[in-house]
Amino acid sequence: MDPALFTQLEVQQWLVAEARLLDARRYDLWLQLLDPGVRYRVPDRSYRLQDDVRDFATWSVDRELEGEAGLALIDEDHAGLQLRIGRLRTTMGWAEMPASMSRRLVGNVVVDGAEDAEDCLSVVSTLFLAKVRREERVLFTAERRDRLVQTKDGYRLRARYVVLDDVVLPSENLSLLF
Amino acid sequence: MTNQAYVAADGGWIQPEIFSDPALYEVEKTKVFGRSWLFLGHTSQLPKPGSFLRTFMGEESVLVTRDRSGDVRAHLNACRHRGFEICQEDRGMAHRFQCRYHGWTYGTDGTLIGVPGEESIYYREIDKRQWGLIPVRVETYKGLIFGNFDSDAPCLIDYLGEAAWYLDILLDRREGGSELLGPHRWRIATNWKVVAENHCGDEYHIGFAHGSVFPPDLGAMRATPVPHAREIRPGLGHGFGANVYPDEMGPEEWLSIGLGGEFPAHIREYELDAFKETANRLGDQRARIGLIHGAIWPNLGMVPIVNSIRAIQPRGVGQVEMWSYCLVDRDAPPEVKAWMTARSIATFGPAGSFEQDDANNWSAVTRSSAGTEARKHRLNIQMGLGHEERSERLPGELGLTASEINQRGFYRRWAQDMFGGAA
Repeated sequence: MDPALFTQLEVQQWLVAEARLLDARRYDLWLQLLDPGVRYRVPDRSYRLQDDVRDFATWSVDRELEGEAGLALIDEDHAGLQLRIGRLRTTMGWAEMPASMSRRLVGNVVVDGAEDAEDCLSVVSTLFLAKVRREERVLFTAERRDRLVQTKDGYRLRARYVVLDDVVLPSENLSLLF
Repeated sequence: MTNQAYVAADGGWIQPEIFSDPALYEVEKTKVFGRSWLFLGHTSQLPKPGSFLRTFMGEESVLVTRDRSGDVRAHLNACRHRGFEICQEDRGMAHRFQCRYHGWTYGTDGTLIGVPGEESIYYREIDKRQWGLIPVRVETYKGLIFGNFDSDAPCLIDYLGEAAWYLDILLDRREGGSELLGPHRWRIATNWKVVAENHCGDEYHIGFAHGSVFPPDLGAMRATPVPHAREIRPGLGHGFGANVYPDEMGPEEWLSIGLGGEFPAHIREYELDAFKETANRLGDQRARIGLIHGAIWPNLGMVPIVNSIRAIQPRGVGQVEMWSYCLVDRDAPPEVKAWMTARSIATFGPAGSFEQDDANNWSAVTRSSAGTEARKHRLNIQMGLGHEERSERLPGELGLTASEINQRGFYRRWAQDMFGGAA
């Protein structure tokens, strides 16, 4: 098989398996998919005045995100993600007691075949995340920009950057992971 | 309507329907949001002439600008021709605002400067001076910008009253003042008062609702007053909770207690410097106050202990948008600001370890308050009733942590604004 196609399939399967772990609420197993140096960020979005609408370069999401620094919604390292998940086991993590029902759909997976200086693959995917809890039934849509590193046990997540398609978040909290 | 049916602050109860009755919310739009000083932003968000931001007063869109002469102005964000929302971006720089519907154009000071067809189809008969944007009264307090729809309302400093003495601890503790970052925005199915009263006075919930974050023994604070900590009621519906460190305790010692936990060395050093500077600027007593939470009537909440302030924007009787900002010392080194904002996000952002559970409580309270049977029965706000104290050193009245002294002040103000007279 074409090695690029093989990598594409491997990465897609990894993303699907990861999504299924989160939907199954196996956060303990999900933590094992993280590289110890992981960085997990979700930037804030806002409606900005574009500097020159005649130039489509200024329409790009990248341009919007690199504009004046907002406050990230989430910015965690490995320890932070462990704390976030550890919170759920304290018997007082009320936002997930009872736990949300969730369904993730991962698609539009693009793998950049070349490994970067840190031996990571760049992977972009689209995520639809439905969250149902009490009166809430909300849909988050996002683009995820991941960096995956190959280990002897398979891929590990080195970095995730989640571009949410919301300015005012539709949920009372972000209690689930993207 | 009379207040007797809804609130008896000195009787220690409120009625659930104040969180769910659409008729009361309609009255609040005029009696509360129509005549209070409402938080609009911070002067640091408007660095130069032409800077603008879009926010809300109650449910009404407001455009806040720095005009050509450098003054901060606010106007209803609605064209005078058909009412179209002329500015739809959250913030930016603009030297004029042109309505996208028919092209009426306004300056940063709200004046109508252009009307397409003024010469021809309007026969030069339109008096542009009469049709500027509707101005909103604006006043600032040490960087915080407030707006008021009511020309008869007292000036901002009188409205803040003794709360200003405490706000200085946030806004004026260092030479450079403060800076605002954000906001994060998210929707919660809750009445705005449920959120506002929590910020105003609820220390009781910390050990329990936030039990996932604190070590289990800290849950004991539910039953045992925290030494050196007080609920402070400055009056007029405002409220704070604070650590008030005694004279015999040095800043090195108190930096190690409270919510902050162990600070890294560079933050410790920064806070020790800040203590000395605050003592010089505001006096030793105020340098010894660490604000934990607070609220300015009606809908500005604060969690100063993690640099968070938030406007609780009502969206109908049972819905709010939280607009949550980070307030940091403007001249703090970048690594200090980064540490403070990271802590703020991790605790009180929409994904924060504290905030997640708060929203969960507020929506549940609001939902139950609408019940036909539930509405026949009062809710209790009597904690510490009759045990209010005063101190020569701290303006306002004091309660223990925990005490509902501030919730009573909050609902008394609500009843006064809504119905007049005392509650």
